[in-house]
Amino acid sequence: MRITWFRWLLVPLVVVPLGWLLFTGLGRDPRLIPSPLVGKPMPAFAGTTLEGDRFSSADLAGKPAIVNFWASYCIPSCVEEHPVLLDLAARYGALVRLVGVLVNDTPDGARGFLARYGQVSWPNLLNADGRITIDYGVTGPPETFFVDARGIVVARHVGPLTDAIVAEQLAALGITP
Amino acid sequence: MRRLVLPLALAALLALAGLVVVQLLQPAQSLTPVEQARQLAGELRCPDCQSLSVAESRTAAANAIRREIAELLAAGQAPAQVRQHFVDRYGEWILLAPTAPIAWWLPGAALLVGGLALAGWLLRGRRAASATTGEPSAGEALRRRVREELEELDA
Repeated sequence: MRITWFRWLLVPLVVVPLGWLLFTGLGRDPRLIPSPLVGKPMPAFAGTTLEGDRFSSADLAGKPAIVNFWASYCIPSCVEEHPVLLDLAARYGALVRLVGVLVNDTPDGARGFLARYGQVSWPNLLNADGRITIDYGVTGPPETFFVDARGIVVARHVGPLTDAIVAEQLAALGITP
Repeated sequence: MRRLVLPLALAALLALAGLVVVQLLQPAQSLTPVEQARQLAGELRCPDCQSLSVAESRTAAANAIRREIAELLAAGQAPAQVRQHFVDRYGEWILLAPTAPIAWWLPGAALLVGGLALAGWLLRGRRAASATTGEPSAGEALRRRVREELEELDA
């Protein structure tokens, strides 16, 4: 008698919460890793680019910006998103600033990648000490941060960019084709 | 022998609890900066590894984080501030041990509820057993009848 009463209690106490956990957990997009930076000012950075120029985050002020973390060893993800970035620069280059940041890569490795998959028009920071990687909480390339004109991080994308993701994020930044 | 199991288990549990309390009451040892840095590195997840702490890894990211820990400690930051420095960048994900209190007391609560359920179940079984000791069980009755009939056959 008491056992059957307890058994009915099992359903709301155990089965429902477990089911809810599984349901919501499986429905989440693992690529949309929440970042504590979203909604906050972008972490400042300064460094040397592949061309040997100085570049700092202050140079991004006044326009929406896209900070793309990549590496030449990041295959195939970075190779996949490279044409997406080239297309983005060609179409929206006047409206948004792009900057690449190397993750634990050598300048020669990065130059070889660009020579093979397409030269780019935007600066790429060497980030030799990995400080920018830490300041942005990057776990591994490719990762991309979308920053609005006021310098606030609006989104973080982990994994290769696609045209659809770029269009969606640019729309969120107020840039439409 | 059976009667000893419960007291022994209780004694073992009490001894364990005592050890935990003694451990908790011990004053925190003052660590050298190197030990402090190593302890902090052990609490942080290595971002480009699988299930390894920064202290256990020699990847580029782990090296960079170790360097940053040393720099922050050298700059006079407290261990809690250093921890927060990385949480601000990576989120709680970077910490290997969860900070949410529920993660710590939930297993204990589950153990308690399970233990109570088990105790209730055992007690009920004992009560049911003692309630039926008055009359012989079916097996016993059957055995008696077999014995009686065998005796009749022998006679």
